[in-house]
Amino acid sequence: MSKKREVIASGNDLAAMAAVDAGCMFFGGYPITPSSEVMHTISDLLPKVGGVAIQMEDEIGGVAAAIGASMSGVRSLTATSGPGISLKAENLGLAQMAEVPLVVVNVMRGGPSTGLPTRVSQGDVAQAKNPSHGDYKSITLCAGNLAECYTETVRAFNLADRFMQPVFVLLDETIGHMHAKAELPTVEEVKASIKPRRKFEGDPKDYHPYEVPQDEPAILNPMFQGYRYHFTGLHHDRDGFPTEEKETCRKLIDRLFRKVDEHRDEIELNEEYLLDDADILLIGYGSASLAIREAIDRLREQGIKAGMFRPITLWPSPEERLFELGQKFDKVLSIELNQGQYLEEIQRAMGRKDIQKLTKTNGRPFSPQDIIDKVKEVF
Amino acid sequence: MKAPENTPVWTNEANCKACDLCVSVCPAGVLAMRYEPHSVLGSMITIIAPEDCIGCNECELACPDFAIYVADKKEYKFAKLSDQAKERAKKIAENDYMMLGA
Amino acid sequence: MAFNYDEYLRTEKMPTLWCWGCGDGVILKAFIRAVDKLGWNKDDVCVVSGIGCSGRFSSYVDFNTVHTTHGRTVAFATGIKLANPDKHVICVAGDGDALAIGGNHTIHGCRRNIDMTLIVIQNFIYGLTNSQTSPTTPRGFWTVSQKAGNIDPTFDGCKLAEAAGASFVARENVSEPRKLEKVLYKALAHKGFSYVEAMSNCHINLGRKNKMASAIENLDWIDSITMPKKKWDALSEEEKINYLPTGVLKEDTEAEEYCDMYEEVKKVHQGLRPKITPDDFKKKI
Repeated sequence: MSKKREVIASGNDLAAMAAVDAGCMFFGGYPITPSSEVMHTISDLLPKVGGVAIQMEDEIGGVAAAIGASMSGVRSLTATSGPGISLKAENLGLAQMAEVPLVVVNVMRGGPSTGLPTRVSQGDVAQAKNPSHGDYKSITLCAGNLAECYTETVRAFNLADRFMQPVFVLLDETIGHMHAKAELPTVEEVKASIKPRRKFEGDPKDYHPYEVPQDEPAILNPMFQGYRYHFTGLHHDRDGFPTEEKETCRKLIDRLFRKVDEHRDEIELNEEYLLDDADILLIGYGSASLAIREAIDRLREQGIKAGMFRPITLWPSPEERLFELGQKFDKVLSIELNQGQYLEEIQRAMGRKDIQKLTKTNGRPFSPQDIIDKVKEVF
Repeated sequence: MKAPENTPVWTNEANCKACDLCVSVCPAGVLAMRYEPHSVLGSMITIIAPEDCIGCNECELACPDFAIYVADKKEYKFAKLSDQAKERAKKIAENDYMMLGA
Repeated sequence: MAFNYDEYLRTEKMPTLWCWGCGDGVILKAFIRAVDKLGWNKDDVCVVSGIGCSGRFSSYVDFNTVHTTHGRTVAFATGIKLANPDKHVICVAGDGDALAIGGNHTIHGCRRNIDMTLIVIQNFIYGLTNSQTSPTTPRGFWTVSQKAGNIDPTFDGCKLAEAAGASFVARENVSEPRKLEKVLYKALAHKGFSYVEAMSNCHINLGRKNKMASAIENLDWIDSITMPKKKWDALSEEEKINYLPTGVLKEDTEAEEYCDMYEEVKKVHQGLRPKITPDDFKKKI
């Protein structure tokens, strides 16, 4: 059992603290509710450890600066909310294409458009899967409690460097602004868990950053160390230079998929709560899971055996486990603070259309009673 | 790049796109375009009077394509600008930068 | 032996994909000569470009190179520079890239006076996408998006850079490669944000429909609308509006540079100095 420490902080603060503990040395961002506190906190923490936090002129500049710093070899973070992701989308696509690691904390608010800036939503789940145009595989994690705002941010940095691409950490307004006690791993434990990105050590003449096995990410050495190559958002060859050669282009996009798809076991993380003896399966994630858990406890007091499946990695989805659960449970209820963005994925993975749903898009969180009422109504 | 010996000005035809810029800036009529059916624009840079090159380097500076080079003044004794060379430069310009009599 | 460009080029990428006579190549060469004169180690240099013909600039030079998204060059470069303040970061962008879609980043790069050079290849048109109006296309010119003649007013990137706070601003024509090399050398050596507008020809997408279909004619036109700053200064205000001054237009070696100032921020947070106040700056508002 590893040692734990107790910290009283908000979810947004915990994400910022986690980034710095995970070795992040650069933050580029722009103010946006409800994520701004990530920038406020990290702009104090980073200069203390010799890093840099900059508030750029707009959301696009924020992500561009963070990607630029990451291209040069340092762990980088940006934080925003849904409208900011919309603006950052093109550059997130560049990071996918050029295989630049980056952690993006998205504290979701009500949408579309400006929506409900100070209220909760899980409206960016579908957006996180495909924020930019083109074909690539998103890696998206979703914190379900305060401690996970910290631990999932740390995990996101390791996944970003492992798979050389942006990794989203979805918080929502409830968790981001929740201020309470969190049990965290020690800083030493976090530091020991850091897996820096791979580096080519041989003769620069033999270095071809994008010439890697078809299920592996590019190996991008830091800049300024004698390995001079090229970054581009265009289809590119083994050294990063633009090409239209058809086989090279095909292999590149195929690899962007396979590097994620064939290593799902390294990415997937779920929580199962009281599922073993349950008759009813509730599926939810993020802050909604806090109400679901409470509802399950109360339902069980009334003799109704419900349990929860909570994906912590939303993308790629836990499709195999969802399929198994779909076979095991007749009664399934999906609970989301949107109109059912993840429900579509659950239906696809389970191969079923008869899944009940509880959704909410008025900017208010679920109460446990909402869920209890829905369970009693539909089952 | 390998500089040829005892040569005032030389070209790399693989890089030349036949824009005429080097010919247009040569004050000494050293350069002109020749007809070249295999070039994209149907012409190619040619050094027609190397002995008149004054080493001013204007052609090299004006070339966008790393297609023409001039020897260093320390390593080659260049000609002085003659009236005859100036006259040839003028005629080449009037001939749309093509070689005279071609 | 002539100047050896090959040392700085990715020679296997030659010839460039630019059109015959394109000024981009002249700027590329002048830039290489300026870097050579500075004696910089290739590993210490990062060239960042945007989208457009100028976007390919970065792929031809043997430095650490980044080809970014449309207009975002300065923003990417800001991250690279702040994370590596002792390295040399150069941005290359077109006029549409730097002054239209990326105008905001240009303004704020200048405002921060972060130590980098922005070379704007100003050819008065969107070239790569075939002749659409750019923020610098003269009024009355034919463009494919304004075939009746462009009515959009132009703006002066150098004035913008100066007003926004760039501490070095210069303009030069590609028809003056020696002068261009000189201003690029000064810009690269300058500490702070240096903005260089390299006036270039696009006889293909600007010239063909505007009576200057060859590189030579297009360059002659640029010469006819520009003049050295000293000469320009002597013109009447009425005459000035029809010419653009060339040479170094602003050089301020006293302005605080952003990476240096950020070092002070680090010191505050590390308890090595008191907080930064208005008294730390000459300019108070």
